[in-house]
Amino acid sequence: MDVIMNNEYMLNTFNNTNNPKNLITNLSQAEINKEYKIKDIQTDDEELKDFLFTLGCYKGEAITIISVLVDNYVITVKDARYSIDNDLAEAIIIN
Amino acid sequence: MKIALTGNPNSGKTTLFNALTGKIEKVGNWAGVTIDKKEGAIKKSLNKTSQTMIAVDLPGAYSMSPFTSEETITNEFVNNESPNVLINIVDATNLSRSLFFTTQLLELGIPVVVALNKSDLNIKKKTIIDIQKLADELKCPVVETVSTGGSNNGLKKLIKEVGLVSESKQEAPFKPLNINMEDKESVKESDIRRYEFVNSIVAKVEIKKVRANIQTKQDMFDRILAHKWLGIPIFAAVMWMVFSLSQTYIGPLIADVLVGWIDGFYDLVEGLMGDNVSPLLSALLLDGIIGGVGALVGFLPLIMVLFFLLALLEDCGYMARVAVITDRFFKRVGLSGKSIIPMVIGLGCAIPGVMATRTIKNERQRRTTAMLTPFMPCGAKLPVVALFAGVFFNNAAWVGTMMYFLAIGIILLGAAIIVRITGEKNSRSYFIMELPEYRFPSIKRAAISMLSRAKAFIIKAGTIILLCNAIIHIMQTFNWRFEVVAENAANTSILASIASPFAILMLPLGFGVWQLAAATITGFIAKENVVGTLAVVYGITNFIDTEELVLINGATNVAGVMGLTSIAALSYLMFNLFSPPCFAAIGAMNAEMESGKWLLAGVGFQLGMGYVVAFITYQVGTLITTGVIGSGFIPGLIAVTVMIGYVLYLIKKGDIKAKTKKVIRTS
Repeated sequence: MDVIMNNEYMLNTFNNTNNPKNLITNLSQAEINKEYKIKDIQTDDEELKDFLFTLGCYKGEAITIISVLVDNYVITVKDARYSIDNDLAEAIIIN
Repeated sequence: MKIALTGNPNSGKTTLFNALTGKIEKVGNWAGVTIDKKEGAIKKSLNKTSQTMIAVDLPGAYSMSPFTSEETITNEFVNNESPNVLINIVDATNLSRSLFFTTQLLELGIPVVVALNKSDLNIKKKTIIDIQKLADELKCPVVETVSTGGSNNGLKKLIKEVGLVSESKQEAPFKPLNINMEDKESVKESDIRRYEFVNSIVAKVEIKKVRANIQTKQDMFDRILAHKWLGIPIFAAVMWMVFSLSQTYIGPLIADVLVGWIDGFYDLVEGLMGDNVSPLLSALLLDGIIGGVGALVGFLPLIMVLFFLLALLEDCGYMARVAVITDRFFKRVGLSGKSIIPMVIGLGCAIPGVMATRTIKNERQRRTTAMLTPFMPCGAKLPVVALFAGVFFNNAAWVGTMMYFLAIGIILLGAAIIVRITGEKNSRSYFIMELPEYRFPSIKRAAISMLSRAKAFIIKAGTIILLCNAIIHIMQTFNWRFEVVAENAANTSILASIASPFAILMLPLGFGVWQLAAATITGFIAKENVVGTLAVVYGITNFIDTEELVLINGATNVAGVMGLTSIAALSYLMFNLFSPPCFAAIGAMNAEMESGKWLLAGVGFQLGMGYVVAFITYQVGTLITTGVIGSGFIPGLIAVTVMIGYVLYLIKKGDIKAKTKKVIRTS
């Protein structure tokens, strides 16, 4: 079981490296100190989407990762700093 | 005239409210400190008009669309109680987000005055805002304020403007065009246009020298304080410092003085009464009232210093970072890093701790945190710990330390059990927490917070606890026929007969005597009562020397009077720490859980946890120290097995539920 999963993982990594255009899709793969534009918030959680919107985190807005702490990311949206976890970073699609 | 203070979370509303009214409501440097609206009259020195102005502090709202309880309160207040003027506190360091809410407020048809708060921080950041232009764009007055500042804080001007606009009509600067409020997409589109409008204003009025997304000194602090490996040790060191300062160094120093006063008062009253007063009355006054309350007041400075230091912690912005570093641990047991804030506050008092859970959006996480926060030994439980450590463990430091670590262990275990029972072990939850800027904590605010706590404590000691001690004293002095019980027949007293049935239940825990059962019961009224009641029922008030927080000459005597082994004493201590909190805290749990079922389950869980922990401590401890099991092992084992079995059954049921659903929620 473990072996299969490892293979799958390697396959994914392999595919990603072969396809640089798809390399950065969500915030968890973004570089630190580089400004990105938010493309979409990918989640079924409407409440979360609404909440992020009121913070100014929505399609077209700029977002920057300031640092990666523990398993959290410090991001800046508008003029405020937020700490978000990996799950949320993966839900924020950027380009 | 009614004025509502509105604004984003952590924009400084409560600080402004306190400055305007002279009140001392709780403030802290993270989003969501204020959870209920509060009212107060504006100080005469600020209000130059003839009519009284009532300011209402509302919880922070990011925008007007209701989705959490904080925002709902704001909405309901603005819509139902129609205040005369709204003061919109705008965080000057984050104009573009704050003004979104401002434009919504301006549509309500109630005159708005914008208080551009934290303008001092902007000067530091070299950001310039054209106040006049901003006022023109918004079509409402804008006043720069520094609500943390001293004399020149803009508050007089703010109140003057409030008086001027109260009768006027303002025109909304942004008018949403043909928007269908029923249609979510339509509202969203309009909101995007609103943001565009806000951005256009910001572009016109703000000149920023330093862009928000470049690294600052603050970010450097974050990288150290919230470092993957350093974060937890730093947090532990900070908490250790808080405790050693309050419990070992500064606290006892002040306690010396207080205890001196109480001793003096005791002698004074004793001298005044002379020998002519009936021994019954003198015992009630001296041992029952002065002794019982005095045993407690000696601990007041320790608790005050603890509150002072916790207030400093809350004020400087560190708490949000603690949430970040603990998130990964709490996540494993189905909670989020936000759960740490109620628990740290709970070290002072469980009531504000439980109330602080309201910032947690996920319902299960909020309820679980409210259920587990009271396990943190609060300030009122400190005297119990200190007494037992002094009497039975030669004042060993490990007793107190162990209680805190045990509390953390129990909380994590409890959370892991609850997430399984609710069947949400597979649910994903997102973590997002605003990181406020660090600031130097205000000594003044911390002192105010400390004094208000001390006042509450003294009032409690002077009313409820005094009354309890007097009643306990009377109940143990008389029997049911209201005759004074004989010297050697203490177990015929009213108190003994009431507490005895409970004592039987506690036999398997090693302390099946009515005196200890009585102290546990009064502990539910207020945990401070435990020490007071013990002092009264055992008549040991003279032994409890709060001066050094040990029982200098009476330690062995007290241990002898109580007739407990050290293991049984430890078990009793744990039962008191890890059983349900005082009634007031249970009331707070009820308010935050918003579910009778959860409250019942919560109190049941706390009771069961206390029983199981005490049972294991006593029985295992006795087996190790004496080689034989303790009293009442078999009935206790049956009770504990039933409790654990029931929890396991619920977990199994929850697991089945978990298989059938997969939920994603926000924390």
